Amino acid sequence: MNPFSELNPSRRDFFARTSDGLLGAALASLLGNDLGAEEHPGGYDLTPKRGHHPAKATSVIQLFMNGGPSQMDLFDPKPVLNGMDGKPFPGNVEEVGNSNADSIGVMMGGQYKFARHGQSGMWMSDALPHTAKMADDICLINSMWTDHPNHDNALYKIHSGRLFMGYPTLGAWTVYGLGTENRNLPAYVVLNDQLGMPKNGTRNWTSGFLPPLYQGTRFRPTGSPILNLKPQYEQPSAVTEAARGLLGKLDGIHRNTRPHYQELDARIESYGLAARMQLSAGEALDLAREKPHTLDLYGIGELKTDSYGKRCLLARRLVERGVRFVQIFLEEQPWDSHADLNANHRAICERTDKPVAGLLRDLKQRGLLDSTLVIWGGEFGRTPTSQKSGDVYTGRDHNMQAFSSWMAGGGVKGGMTYGATDDFGHAVVEDAVSVHDFHATILNQLGLDHQKLFFSRSGLEERLTGFEPPHVVEDILA
Amino acid sequence: MKLDIHIQRLCFLILCFLPLFLQAAGETGGDFEDAVAPILKERCVKCHNGKTQKGELNLSSVVGVMKGGESGPVFEAGSPEKSHLYEMVHRKEMPKKGDPLTHAQIETIRKWIDTGAPFRTQPRITETLPHQHDVIPVLLLRCTTCHGPRKQLGGVDLRNPAAMKRGGKNGPVMIPGDPDKSLVIQRIESEACPPRDMLLKEFVKRPPKSEVALLRRWIAAGAPEEDIVPDVANGEADPLVTEEDRQHWAFVAPEIASSLKNEKLNVDFFVGRKLKEEGLAFSEEADRNALIRRAYIDLIGLPPSVEEWQQWSRHQDADWFSKMVDHLLSSPRYGERWGRYWLDLAGYADSEGGISADPVREVAWKYRDYVIQAFNEDKPYDRFLIEQLAGDELLDWRKAEEVTEEMVENLTATGFLRMGIDQTGSRTMNFVPERLGVISDVIAVVGSGVMGVTMECAKCHTHKYDPIPHRDYYRMKAIFQGALDEHDWLSFKTRTVKMGTAEHRERVAKTNPPLLAEKKKLESQLKQAGADLKTETLRAHYPAQSEEDRKATLGALRVADNNRSLPQRLLVEKLMKAEVIPDSEQPESVLAAKKKVKGLERHIAKVRDEMEPALVIRALWDRGEPSPTYILRRGEHAKPGRLVGPGVPSALTDGKTAFEVEPPFPDGTVKSGRRLAFARWLTQPDHPLTARVMMNRIWYHHFGRGLVNTLENFGVKGERPTHPELLDWLALTFVEKGWSIKEMHRVILNSRTWKQSSMISDDRLEADPQNRLVSRMPLRRMNAEALRDSLLSVSGQLDVEAGGLPDQIEVDRDGMVSVIAGETGKLRRSIYLQYRRTEIPTMMDTFDYPEMGPNCLSRNISTVSPQSLMLMNNANIRNYAAAMAAKIEGSLSRAGATHSDFVDAVYRTALSRPPSAEETKLGSEALTELEAKWGEDKDAALETYCHIILNSAAFLYVD
Repeated sequence: MNPFSELNPSRRDFFARTSDGLLGAALASLLGNDLGAEEHPGGYDLTPKRGHHPAKATSVIQLFMNGGPSQMDLFDPKPVLNGMDGKPFPGNVEEVGNSNADSIGVMMGGQYKFARHGQSGMWMSDALPHTAKMADDICLINSMWTDHPNHDNALYKIHSGRLFMGYPTLGAWTVYGLGTENRNLPAYVVLNDQLGMPKNGTRNWTSGFLPPLYQGTRFRPTGSPILNLKPQYEQPSAVTEAARGLLGKLDGIHRNTRPHYQELDARIESYGLAARMQLSAGEALDLAREKPHTLDLYGIGELKTDSYGKRCLLARRLVERGVRFVQIFLEEQPWDSHADLNANHRAICERTDKPVAGLLRDLKQRGLLDSTLVIWGGEFGRTPTSQKSGDVYTGRDHNMQAFSSWMAGGGVKGGMTYGATDDFGHAVVEDAVSVHDFHATILNQLGLDHQKLFFSRSGLEERLTGFEPPHVVEDILA
Repeated sequence: MKLDIHIQRLCFLILCFLPLFLQAAGETGGDFEDAVAPILKERCVKCHNGKTQKGELNLSSVVGVMKGGESGPVFEAGSPEKSHLYEMVHRKEMPKKGDPLTHAQIETIRKWIDTGAPFRTQPRITETLPHQHDVIPVLLLRCTTCHGPRKQLGGVDLRNPAAMKRGGKNGPVMIPGDPDKSLVIQRIESEACPPRDMLLKEFVKRPPKSEVALLRRWIAAGAPEEDIVPDVANGEADPLVTEEDRQHWAFVAPEIASSLKNEKLNVDFFVGRKLKEEGLAFSEEADRNALIRRAYIDLIGLPPSVEEWQQWSRHQDADWFSKMVDHLLSSPRYGERWGRYWLDLAGYADSEGGISADPVREVAWKYRDYVIQAFNEDKPYDRFLIEQLAGDELLDWRKAEEVTEEMVENLTATGFLRMGIDQTGSRTMNFVPERLGVISDVIAVVGSGVMGVTMECAKCHTHKYDPIPHRDYYRMKAIFQGALDEHDWLSFKTRTVKMGTAEHRERVAKTNPPLLAEKKKLESQLKQAGADLKTETLRAHYPAQSEEDRKATLGALRVADNNRSLPQRLLVEKLMKAEVIPDSEQPESVLAAKKKVKGLERHIAKVRDEMEPALVIRALWDRGEPSPTYILRRGEHAKPGRLVGPGVPSALTDGKTAFEVEPPFPDGTVKSGRRLAFARWLTQPDHPLTARVMMNRIWYHHFGRGLVNTLENFGVKGERPTHPELLDWLALTFVEKGWSIKEMHRVILNSRTWKQSSMISDDRLEADPQNRLVSRMPLRRMNAEALRDSLLSVSGQLDVEAGGLPDQIEVDRDGMVSVIAGETGKLRRSIYLQYRRTEIPTMMDTFDYPEMGPNCLSRNISTVSPQSLMLMNNANIRNYAAAMAAKIEGSLSRAGATHSDFVDAVYRTALSRPPSAEETKLGSEALTELEAKWGEDKDAALETYCHIILNSAAFLYVD
C-alpha cells in the first residue's frame, strides 16, 4: 500500500490487518503472478516502497549518545568561556540549566585541547582523535536545540519529535514509509549495550501508534539475538521437521477450506519467515567472517573498544544486507556527566571514538557511505557552568538551548561545520536546527517528504515533524 | 459590548506595528486592499464574514483581518511561514469546501505577508485598556500556587482584584493607579517572587517581561474591571454553529422511519433487506460446533470445556442456542472478556507512564474490578457512565456518617478519568503544560471513546471539518476544571482517598498490621540479600578484588548513575559485566545467593496477597473551586483568550439553551456539579450519540467491523454507517431495554445475521468484498487475551480466581516479560496481569496488546513472524502443550486407546469439535512418525502433537 496518499477512512477495510513483508513475494511465487508492493493485499507491511523523491541514502545508522555529550568539550571550542573559567555566570543563573539554581556553579572552561582537522579545518577536541581523522567526511551541526531539559522528554523528542511517550520514532516512520530491502531480517534493528538498556528503554524504538510491525527489533548483545529465535526446549531436529510438516499440512487444509482469507496465507508465510530468520540472523551476526584488519579498524579485541566496535561492525553488516535503520545505544546514559566530566567524557570517548571512526572508514572503503547516513549525537547538550554534585563542582548540567550532532554520508556535505552558538556554547545564535528540522532533513535524504509522510489517527494526520512547519536544512546537503 | 472591547484591544496591538508595515510596502506586490482582499472576497468571506464568523474570523473587512480569530492573529508581517492565513491556504486546509486556492493566489498572499503585510487604509481605532481578565491568567500561572485557594502566604490571595486590594499582612498588594508602589509589581520585578527556591518546588516559572508590562499597564490604568460573564450558550442563536451543521446525521437523535412502524423490526430485518437489495441472501448458518466455539470466544473469551461442548452439541432443545447465550452471559468470565474492551477504551494501565521510572499505580486494579463487575452485573450503561464521569458528585461521601458500598463504588468508578499517561508526579514535569496534557487526554478519551467525536483538533483552533469551535473545546475543559485544575493540581499522593465501609475497615485493621510488620521485616531481609548477591557476584568473578572495593561498589550504586565519579562508574561497570553472565555459567555460590533473593521476593508476594485490599482508592473529585477557564490560543498555555464557562458541543444542542449546572449538595460539601450535569446530559435517552456510539462498539466486537467503521469518529470526516436504520434501531432498543448491554448481546447473537457461516463464496467476494453488508461472519484471530487464556484453559493451567492485585511479572535478561505463576503453578486470566506501560508481558505485546496513548479504541491485528517464533519456540507455550498432553493422557488412561482416540481427544479439547476423517488420518500418521523420531517416547510425541495443534490456524482463528 501507499502510506502517503490521502487515507480515506474506508481504506481501513483493506488495511485493518498487517503482515510480514514477505507475503507479497511468497504469494507471487506461489500463484505465479507478480504482486507488486502497490497491489499488496495484506495491509501494513514492510515491502520496499518508493519514497516521494529520489533518495540519497537508503539506510541510516544512528549512533545514539545517550545522556547528552558536552558540545564545548568535544566539538564547539569556546575561548571566551575558557577565559572566564571560575568566574560567575554573567546572567540569570535560573536560565542556565535544568536543576535548582542553587546547584549551579561557576563558568567551567573546556576540559580538553582543541585543534583543527582535515582539509576543512574542522574543530574537534583531543578526546576524539580517531573521529577527527574523518573530519572531511563529517557534517558537524553545532546549532541543535531542543525543548526540554529532562532526559525522558528530550529522549522522546529526539527520537519521536514529541516530548511525550507514545509516538513513533524516526526509525519507525522510516520503515513505515520505505519498508525494507531484506525480508529475512527485521527492517529496523536496535543494538543495545550488553551492560544494559539505555534510559527510557524500549521507548527509544517504539512504533507508538503505528502498527507494531514498525517498531525496532532489539538484537540482544548476548545469547539469542531475537526473542524466541531458537527453541527453548529440547527436541530432536527430526521431530521439529516432522512437526513443521504436519503444521504445514493442517494449515493448508484450514486455508483451502476457507478461500479468500488472505490473512491465512500471511500466517502460513510468517512461519516460513520465522524459520528463515533463524538462519539469516545467525549469518548476519557472525563477525567471524570478517578479516582481521577489519576487526582492528573497529577496535575489536581491544579491551575498551571491543563491545562498541562489535556493534558498529554489526551495523555495517546489517545495512549491507539491506536493513533500513540501525540504532546503536550505550547503557543507561553514560554521557550524563553531572560529576567528574573530564574523566567520564574521556572514558566514553575511549570506548566509542575508534569504533565510530572505523565504521566511517569501513563504509567509505566499501562504497557504502554514499548510501548510508550515519548520525552521531545525544538528546541535548551541557551547560557552560559547572554543577554541584556532592561537595564538588566537576560536572555540567543539561542544556536544551544548544548541542552538537553530526551526520556523515548519505548525501550530506563532508567537512562542513554548520551553525554557531554564543561565546559560552550556551545558546544557538546562528542557523538554529530544531529537532523537527533535523528529522525533516534525515527523511529528505531517505527520499521522504516530512509533510507527506503521515498516519491518520482519530481524525488527525499525525506526522513525525508535528504541526508546525519545520524546514529541511538545505545548506548541509551535498 | 463584550465583543467590541475585544476587537478594539486587538486593533490597538496590531496598529502599534502599522508604521513598520507601511514602510516596507514600497517594493511589494501590492497593498492588502488591492492584492489580497479580492482573493479573500472570492474564496473566504462566504464563511468568514461579518455575520457568519466561522472561527470568530471576519475576513470581509480590514478590521476583521487585523483582529484575527479565535486561533489568534491572521498574519505575522514579514513571516509567511508563521502566519495562520498563509499556512492554511498553503497547506490546502482552507477553504474547507471547494478547491484550494490557485498557486498564483497563494503566492500573492505569501508575497504580501513577506513584504510586511501593508494596508492602504487605516481604520479608525481607539485605544482600550486591559481589564481583570487579562491579568488573572497571568496571576494563575505565576502566583496563585502560593497566593490562591490552597495557600495564602503572607495572607495574600491574588485570585481577584478585590483580594489584591485587600492584600495581606503587609497591606494591600496592589494600589490602583500606582504600579511602582504596588507590592505585586515590586516583588515580581525584584525577583523576590516567585522565590527562586520555590520555582521547582511549586512548578512555576517567572513571568516574562510582557506579562509584567501587562500587569503594570493594568494597575496604572487604575485596575479597571469589566463585567464579563463567561461565554456560554445564552439564549441567543450561536453565530459559530449553523442549523445545517446540526443536521449531520449523527447529531440528530436516532429515530425509526414511520414507514417501518408496522414491520417486525430486528437485526435480521435490516441486514436481510440490504442483502436483498444487493441481490444477496444470508450465508448459510454455521454448523453447531462452530457456533458453540464462536459464542464462547465472543462472549467469555474462553473455549468451552470438553464437557460443556458435549452438553451443547448434544442439546435437544430447539432453543439450545439462546440457552447457551444466557448461560454464557451469566458466567463471571463474561465481564472479564467484555470489561477488557472497556479498559482499552479507558486506557487502563497499572503505571503512570510519561517518565522513564514509570511509577506503578498501586490500586488501579480497583477500577479494573469495578468495570468487570459492572459488566457482570449488567449495570445499565447510563448509570455506568454517570458513575465514571461524576461518581464523586452523586453522594456526599465527604460528609457521610457511614461510608456505604455505593459510595466506594462511585468513587472507584471515577478512576476512569485518571487512567491516562500522567507524568506530573515527576520532580520536574509538573508544570502547567504537562498538566494540560493530562486534561487533554481525558477530553480525548471521553470525546472519541464515549461521544464518538474527535475534540483534539479544537484544542488549538476551530475544528477543520466538524462544527466544533475552538470555544467548545474549552467549554468542555471547564466541565472538568473542578477536578482537573491546572492551577490547583493534586499530587500523586493527594489524589487518593482512604475510604471503605465499616466492615472493610474492620477487616483491614484486624488482618493487615501483623502482615505489614512481616512484610517490612522481609523487605529489609531482601535488601540485605540483594547486597549479599552483589558482593558474592564480585567475589566469584573478581577474586583478586579487595573487600574495600566491593564495599565501594555497593556505595557507588547508591549514587545516582549520572553523579558517579569515573572510579565509581568503573566499579559499577565491573559488577554489571559479571551480572549479565547467564546463570548456566554462574558459580554455585552466586546461584545460591540469587535463590535466596527469589525466595524472599516470592515470600513477600505471598504476604502481600494475604493482606486485605488497602482502603486507598485512586479517584477524581470536584474540589468546589474551579479556576476560571480561558480559551488557549493555539492551545498554548501562556496565550489565554476569552473567558468561557462549562458547556457541551453546541452542534449537539440547540446552541441557545444554557448548560445548566447545579451544585449537587447545597447543604453539604461544596462541589461545582459540572461533571454530573455533563453526565446527565450525555445519558439523556434521546442523546444523538451516546447509545449509537456504544451500540456501534458492541457491534464491532461481535462482527469485527463497526456499522460506523470509524468507531471514534461519527463526525463529518467519519465514515457513514453502512446500516443507518439498523444503528438507530439498536440505539433506540438499547435505551428502551434500560441501557442493558446483556440484552443487546441477546438481540444480536440470537439473530440469523450473527449465526452466518464464515465461508466466503466467490459471488459474495464479488458483491461484498469488504463485508460491509454483513453477508457473512468474518473469520477472526483471537486477540492476545483470548489466545493466552485459551492456551491456559485447554492445557488445564487456568486459575479462574477473579479480581484483586494484579499478578506480578518478571523481566529476564533478554527483556522477555513473563508472568510469575502463583503457588499452585496455575495462571490467572490475562486481564489480571500487571500492565505496567514499560513492561507489557511479551506474549500480550507480541499479539498486538496496544500501547495506551492515551487509550485504544480498536486494536490492530498483525500477522508477523515474532508471533510464530513465540508459539513455536517459547518455553511457556511448550509447557502448556506438555500440560495439555498430560491432561489428555490422563483422560484416556484406559488401555487400548489408539492414535485416533488421542487425535479425537486433542481436537475436542483444543478446537471443540471432532477431527475430520482427513485430520484423523493425518494426526494418527503424525503420532506414529513422531513416536518413531522421539525413539518410541509416546508422551513426548503427544506433547509435540499438542504443540502443533496449539500453533495451528484452526486454534488461533475463530470461524
